[in-house]
Amino acid sequence: MTDASADRSTDGHSRAKTSLLQLDERTKKRNAAEARFQAYGIAALAVGMFFLIALLTAIVSNGTRAFTQTFVMMDVTLDAQKLDPDGTGDAEVIAKTTTFGYGGIIDAALEQTLVARGITTEIAVGDLDQMLSSGAAAQIRRAVLDDTSLVGQTVTFEVLASSRVDGYLKGRVTRESLARDRNLSPEHLDVVDALQEAGLVERRFNWAFITGSDASESRPEQAGIGVSMIGSFFMMLVVLVLSLPIGVATSIYLEEFAPQNRFTDFIEVNISNLAAVPSIVFGILGLAIFIQVAHLPQSAPLVGGLVLTLMTLPTIIISTRASLKSVPPSIRDAALGVGASKMQSIFHHVLPLAMPGILTGTILGLAQALGETAPLLLIGMVGFIASNYPDGIAEGFLSPNSAMPAQIYEWAKRADPAYYERAWGGIIILLLFLMTMNIIAILLRRRFERRW
Amino acid sequence: MSALWIALIVLILAAVGFVVGRGRAMQSADGNIRNLHSLPVYYGSHVAMLTSVPALLLLALWLFAQPLAINRMIAPMITSVEAGDSGTLGLVLSDVRRVADGLDLAVSQGVMTDDAARDIRTEFTDVRERLSQVGVALGSDVSRETLAAAQRYRTLSTSGSFLMVVAVIGVALVGAVFALARTNRDFRARNVVEAGIKVVLIAAACIAILTTVGIVLSLIFNTVKFFGLYPASQFFFGLTWSPSFGGGSELGILPLLWGTFYISIIALAVAVPIGLFAAIYLSEYATPKVRAIAKPLLEVLAGIPTIVYGLFALLTVGPLLVNVFGEGGILGVTWMGGGTAVMTAGLVMGIMLIPFVSSLSDDIINAVPQSMRDGSLGLGATRSETVRQVVLPAALPGIVGAILLAASRAIGETMIVVLGAGAAARLSLNPFEAMTTVTAKIVSQLTGDADFSSPEALVAFSLGMTLFVITLGLNVFALWIVRKYREQYE
Amino acid sequence: MNDMRLIERAVDMNDIKISARNVQVYYGDNHAIKDVDVDIADKTVTAFIGPSGCGKSTFLRTLNRMNDTIASCRVEGKILIDQEDIYDPRVDPVQLRAKVGMVFQKPNPFPKSIYDNVAYGPKIHGLARSKADLDEIVERALRRGAIWDEVKDRLHSPGTGLSGGQQQRLCIARAVATEPEVLLMDEPCSALDPIATAQVEELIDELRQSYSVVIVTHSMQQAARVSQKTAFFHLGNMVEYDETGKIFTNPEDPRTESYISGRIG
Repeated sequence: MTDASADRSTDGHSRAKTSLLQLDERTKKRNAAEARFQAYGIAALAVGMFFLIALLTAIVSNGTRAFTQTFVMMDVTLDAQKLDPDGTGDAEVIAKTTTFGYGGIIDAALEQTLVARGITTEIAVGDLDQMLSSGAAAQIRRAVLDDTSLVGQTVTFEVLASSRVDGYLKGRVTRESLARDRNLSPEHLDVVDALQEAGLVERRFNWAFITGSDASESRPEQAGIGVSMIGSFFMMLVVLVLSLPIGVATSIYLEEFAPQNRFTDFIEVNISNLAAVPSIVFGILGLAIFIQVAHLPQSAPLVGGLVLTLMTLPTIIISTRASLKSVPPSIRDAALGVGASKMQSIFHHVLPLAMPGILTGTILGLAQALGETAPLLLIGMVGFIASNYPDGIAEGFLSPNSAMPAQIYEWAKRADPAYYERAWGGIIILLLFLMTMNIIAILLRRRFERRW
Repeated sequence: MSALWIALIVLILAAVGFVVGRGRAMQSADGNIRNLHSLPVYYGSHVAMLTSVPALLLLALWLFAQPLAINRMIAPMITSVEAGDSGTLGLVLSDVRRVADGLDLAVSQGVMTDDAARDIRTEFTDVRERLSQVGVALGSDVSRETLAAAQRYRTLSTSGSFLMVVAVIGVALVGAVFALARTNRDFRARNVVEAGIKVVLIAAACIAILTTVGIVLSLIFNTVKFFGLYPASQFFFGLTWSPSFGGGSELGILPLLWGTFYISIIALAVAVPIGLFAAIYLSEYATPKVRAIAKPLLEVLAGIPTIVYGLFALLTVGPLLVNVFGEGGILGVTWMGGGTAVMTAGLVMGIMLIPFVSSLSDDIINAVPQSMRDGSLGLGATRSETVRQVVLPAALPGIVGAILLAASRAIGETMIVVLGAGAAARLSLNPFEAMTTVTAKIVSQLTGDADFSSPEALVAFSLGMTLFVITLGLNVFALWIVRKYREQYE
Repeated sequence: MNDMRLIERAVDMNDIKISARNVQVYYGDNHAIKDVDVDIADKTVTAFIGPSGCGKSTFLRTLNRMNDTIASCRVEGKILIDQEDIYDPRVDPVQLRAKVGMVFQKPNPFPKSIYDNVAYGPKIHGLARSKADLDEIVERALRRGAIWDEVKDRLHSPGTGLSGGQQQRLCIARAVATEPEVLLMDEPCSALDPIATAQVEELIDELRQSYSVVIVTHSMQQAARVSQKTAFFHLGNMVEYDETGKIFTNPEDPRTESYISGRIG
C-alpha cells in the first residue's frame, strides 16, 4: 500500500470539473460514432430484408404467370371422309389416322373459324396452326378415340395455344421479338388479337401445370410439374421411413447408452462432419455406391431417397439428441426408481416426451431434403422427360422419375424462355410445400413446448 | 421365389415363434405371471428376434453377394474381352444380365419354354428378335458367347436362389428352435431382448461411420482409377481445363479452384459484413420486438432451397447486372458480356450465406458474458465502443469459425454456380467474366451419357475428393475453433 | 464490533456528493425500490446492506444509470450528483458513467492484456495525450488499485490469467483509471477468498481519500469494517440510514435490529 500512499499527494481530479448537463466535444463525437455504428447495423438488416423481398418479388412476379395458360376455342368438323372413309365406326380403323393426319382437320377448323368471324389474314391456311400447341392434334385424336360417335360431327374444342401466343398474352412475346422467329410471325398476332376480341382466345387458370407431366423441349405450354411432384413424394417417403427410425435409434444410443470412449467420439465426429459435407458429395456417393456397385436403377426415387436420407440423417440426429437432452434426468430417475430397466425408462417415458421435438426436427429435415437438388443431378434425376405417372407403388419407387427441384433445374436449362416462367411457377409450388412443412413444425413446437 | 416372399415367410415364422414362445413361458410358470423372470411379451420377442434377425441378415448378405459371386464365375467365359479391361467387361456383363433377364421374362410370358430358353443357340434362333417380342430391347445382336454366359447365369442364379431359400429358412428355424429351447420361467428374456435392441441401436449409430466410409471409399477408389489414366501432377498443376470425350483432354484443376475461390470470396465479401452487422444489431441494439420479427425473416433466406437461388441468379440477377455493367448498360461500360459471371454467382451466394453468418455470429455474440458488457458500459463506454473493443475481440475466434464454416458452404455450393457462374474454365481476374467451379464441373462431367470408365468422367471423383478434403479441413478447423471458444466461457 | 473504532471514523456530512429524493424503480410491474431518500457524502465509504433481493444493488445501479441497459426498468424521482439531476434528458449516460465508475460483483476483466484493460477507459474518454501519458495513467491506476507490484512485470499478459483477487483489484484499477468522482461497488468481494477480501477492503479504505465510495455488501462485518455510513434496505424500502457505528450498535428501526442480530436475512 505504500505506493498508493506515496501517490496521494498528486491525487485529486486532474480532469476539470464539468457539468453533466452539457455534452463536451468528445462525447458529441463519440455519440456520432455510436449513431453511425447503429446505422450500419440497421443498414445491414435492411439490405438483408431487401434481398429477401427482391427474391420473393422475383418469384411471385415471374411465377404466377405459369399458373395461367392461353386456350383457343374452335369448332372442329371431324370429317368422316378423312377419319373413317368406309363409315365403319370401328375404333381400330379410326385409330389408324395418326396425330399427323389431324393436321388438315385443324387447319380447316381454323380457317372456318376465321371466316365465320370475318377475320382476314394473309397467312397461308397451312400455317395458321402455328398458333396452336402441337399437342392440339393429339388432344382431338384422343377425344375422337374416346367417343367414336363424334366422327362426322362438328364439335367445339378448347385447345392449348402455342407458347408464343401464350407469351404474347402474358406480355413476354411482342411483335418485335417475333420478327426473326420461325415458329410464329407477327401476322399471327393480328389474328390472335381478332380472336381474342371475338372471345375465342382466353387465358385462364391451368390445372394441368400442377397435375400434368413434363413435355418435350418444343412444347412448354403442355409441361406440368405433377409427375415430378409424385417423384418427390416417393423420395420423401423413403427419407421419412429410413431417417426417422435410424436417426432416433442413433440418438438414443449416443444420448443414453454410449460410453465415453474413442468409438463414441468417432461416431460423433462423423456425424458433425457429415452435416457439413457438401450435398454434391452425397450425390457422388449415391452414384458410386447405389448405382455403380449395388446396381439400383438410375433416376429412381428410391435411390434419390436413399441419398437424401444419408444427407438428412445428421440434421435429424442433432435435433433428436437436443430433444432427448431436454427431457430432465428426474424423469429417467423416476422410472428407474420404480424398477423399470433403462430400456423401459427410455422407451416408455423419455421417448414419448421427446417426440414432439423429434418430429419437429424430422419435418425440418424433410423440408431440407425436399428442396435439395445437387445430389439428384448425379443420380440421373434430370436430363429426361418425366412424362408418365408411375403405374403403381413399386413403380413409383423404382421407375425413373424426376423430383420437383430437379424438374425446375431441367426447365431452367431449356432454351425456350417459356420454360423459365414454368421454372418460377415450379418454385412457387415447391416453396408452398416447404412453407407448409415449416408451419407444421412451428405449430408442433408451440403446441408441445414444455418448460421443465 | 423373390426375396420379398422369403422375408415375409421369415416374418411369419417370427410371429408364430412369438406366440409359441410366450405360451411356453406362461406354461413353464404354471400360468402365473409372477413366476416369470420377465414379462411374457419378452419371451415372445426373444423367440421372434432369434428367428428373424439372423435369417434376414443372411438374406440381405446373400442378395448382395450372389450377383458378385455369379459375375466372378461367368467372367472367365467372356474371352473376347482382354483381361484387365474392366470397363468393357462390365458392359458385356451387363449385356449378359439383360439377355438372362429377357429369357426369364420370355419364359414367364410363355413365349419360350424353360427348356427352349436353356437350349437355344444363336446359330438357330434370332435371340434379339425373340426377346424383343417380350419387350426386352437389346442394343446389338447377341453373340454366342454372351448367350452361353447368359444361360449359365440363369442356371447359376436359379440354383443360387434355391440355396438361398433353403439357407435363410433353415437359419430362421434353427433360431426359433434354439430360442424356444431356452425359454423357461427362469430365463432372463428381458435382458436378452434389451441387449438385442442395444445392438440395433449401435448398428444405427454406425450408419454415420458407414456413410463416411462409403464417401471416402467411392472417392478414393475412383480417384486412384483416374490417376491410373491421367497423371496426377497434370491434374493438380495443370492450367487448362478442356475435357473432350474423344480423348486428348486437358484436365487441370487450377482454373476450377480459382473460380471456386473467386466466387466464394465475393460471396463472403457480401455475406460477412451484412451478416455480422445484422447480428450485432439484433443482439446488441434491437428491441425484443424487432428481434422477434427480423430474425425469423432473415432466417427465411436460409430455408430457401439453393435451386431457387440458382434461378434467381440466372434469370434475375444476371440480366440485372448486364443492364448495369454490360454493353448499353447504365454505367456505359462493357465489362460484362453475359448474365452468367463470377459476380452473379458470388452475389447470390452471398445473399444465401447472410443468414448463415448472422445466426452463427448471433449465437457467438450472445455467448459473450453480459458482465463483459457491463464492465465496459460501467466505465462510460458507448455501446458501439463496447461492441467493437470488448464484445467483438472476445467473440473473434468464434466469428472466425463461423466465417470458415460459411466459406466451406460457399465452396461446396452447387446449384448457384451451375446456373449462375457459367461453364468456361478460365484463370482471370475479371469478376464479370463467366468462370466455373469444382462443383459445377462435377455435375457436368457426371451427367449425360458419359462412359464411367473414361478419364473425363472419372476426373469428377478426383474433383469430389479435392472438394471433400478442402471442406472437411475447413469444417474440422472451424468446429475446433468454435468449441475452444465456447469452452472459454463455460 | 469495536465501538471505539467506529466512533473515530465519524465524518462531517457537509460535503454532499449524491442526493436522492423520492426514488422509485420499477421492473415492468414490479415496484423494486420504494421512495428512497438518501444523501451520500464525498470522500466517504457508504455501505448498503440488507437481505438478498432488497433492492440495494438495484439502487446502486440507478446511481450511474446502468439500469438503462435493462429495457423494462423505469426510474422515477430525483438523483442529484453535484446538484445536477442525472436523469435529466440532457445528460448523456456515457458522460455520467465516466464520472461515476463501477466495480462489479464478479471480476470481469476484458479478454485483453492487463495494460489494455486499464488503458481502455482513458482511451475511450481521451484522457491521455500521448503514449507516455497513457503509460503513466496506467501505472498510477494500477498503483492505486494496489496491484502494481504484482503485475508490473507482465503488463502485457492477459488480464484473465490473474487470480480472482488480483482480477478484482485490476477491475478496481480499471475503474479508477478513468478518474471518476464516485466509485460504486456491487458486492466486490463476494467472489473472493478471505485473503483477497482483506486486500480489497484495505484498498477501499485507501480509495476513500479521493472518492466517494458506495459499496453494496452482503456481509455486515464488511460494512462495519470499511464504511462510515450505512443504509439498511428491506423489501425495496430504505429502512434506516445513519453512521455505521450507530446502525450496528443502536439501530432505531426494529427491522434493522432484527437483521443485525441475524433474525431476518
